[in-house]
Amino acid sequence: MSGGHDHHSGGLNLTLHVWRQKDAQAEGRFETYALQGISEHCSFLEMLDQLNEQLLREGRDPVAFDHDCREGICGSCGVVINGQAHGPDRETATCQLHMRRFHDGDTIYVEPFRAKAFPIQRDLVVDRSAFDRIVSKGGFVSVNTGAPQDANGLPVPKENADLAMDAASCIGCGACVAACPNAAAMLFVGAKISHLGLLPQGAPERRRRVLAMVEQMDRDGFGNCGNIYECEAACPKSISVENIARLNREYIVASACERPAVERIGD
Amino acid sequence: MISRFGAFLRSSIGKKALMAVTGLLLIGFLIVHVVGNLTLYADGDGTQFNAYAAKLEALGPLKVLAEVGLTVLFLAHIALGLRTALENREARPERYKDLAPKGRRTMASMTMVVTGAVLLVFLVIHVIDFRLADFSKVGLAKLVMERLTSPLGAGIYLVSMAFLGSHLWHAFQSLFQTLGLRHPSYAPTIKWVGSALALAIAGLFASFPVLCMMFEGQWPWS
Repeated sequence: MSGGHDHHSGGLNLTLHVWRQKDAQAEGRFETYALQGISEHCSFLEMLDQLNEQLLREGRDPVAFDHDCREGICGSCGVVINGQAHGPDRETATCQLHMRRFHDGDTIYVEPFRAKAFPIQRDLVVDRSAFDRIVSKGGFVSVNTGAPQDANGLPVPKENADLAMDAASCIGCGACVAACPNAAAMLFVGAKISHLGLLPQGAPERRRRVLAMVEQMDRDGFGNCGNIYECEAACPKSISVENIARLNREYIVASACERPAVERIGD
Repeated sequence: MISRFGAFLRSSIGKKALMAVTGLLLIGFLIVHVVGNLTLYADGDGTQFNAYAAKLEALGPLKVLAEVGLTVLFLAHIALGLRTALENREARPERYKDLAPKGRRTMASMTMVVTGAVLLVFLVIHVIDFRLADFSKVGLAKLVMERLTSPLGAGIYLVSMAFLGSHLWHAFQSLFQTLGLRHPSYAPTIKWVGSALALAIAGLFASFPVLCMMFEGQWPWS
């Protein structure tokens, strides 16, 4: 690695095609940039940082992209890399994808997560508040569940605790929507339904919750699930599509059985 | 009650659930259809096959009811397929340069709309061929034999059955997922049963043009 005289030992030389778009209304397009000497130890976001430093030196606008913790737990980052949400690795958010996954001379296309429900704000930044709207319809427990319980005071089957915990690992990044050929949000909503409905504190509201969250999901213009399962493959937390089956099951049962608090007689 | 069911059917999950139920019933129809057609292999002159067709005709009002029911099933399944496909296009107005696989998609799952559309065209041809045609003089078996021994006819039926196999390959396991019936203990079974069913149904239907072309009714076993 010392010296850097050898063209190849000086890191990766890359051709980047990055989606540039001024705002939600503007027309976007790919712009091409040449990057030299990118260390393969860089994360993908650090590579974008270096691109931005280069752009600033040239007096051009840096590329806008979302990021925060850069350790795969916050769900802020996420771009589509060569057609794959969060890039080629499994169980990896964009911030934890490393440039050693690429080769010298590679051409890389970088696009935002695309969905009608995720309007582009600028370049690679999309507005994912549709997820917040879905959660605001019932992705919580609305009653005070009291002080911490005594151990074993509130029995939870071990299997349910595990399944709820797995579902709760969803970081809400939106890769499931981005990777879905139909731009559906079923894995995200399924994860919320499982993580709350499988635990005793969330169970009383499970039917009301699933009806309201699905209604909001549809209203935001997400697509219909085709059981293609690309969401599960793209999820940095590998949330299982079993959660989508649970969402379907809960929704069908709730549609048949839920008694709304106020229902007109004969309705 | 009506409004409640209406709200269910307007929802994304409700539409998919109805598509799953109609699809399951249509798979049931396909099984009955292909098993009934096997009577063509019972003899060389199509007597058994014609007798089976005559029995169905003799059902009278029951046959009409079955045909109306089938039509409703097909129309509902097709309409829901088109509706959801259009909504899915709308859900991503600006396409990716190239949405690359991340590892779970299959050729069958990605082409349900295409295979479904081809099957719709085939369905129209098939109904014109054998349901609307007048076979009172020659008998249905002769009509089938003529159609399936012509290169064009055999070609249409063979290609269509490849599309049917692909459609069913994804459809069976998918419909259980849509209805919420998934558990690690039986999900693998549903998957292989669906694959086997797709191969069996499409394979048996495809055997008719193949064997008709090869033997023209002179079955080696009869």
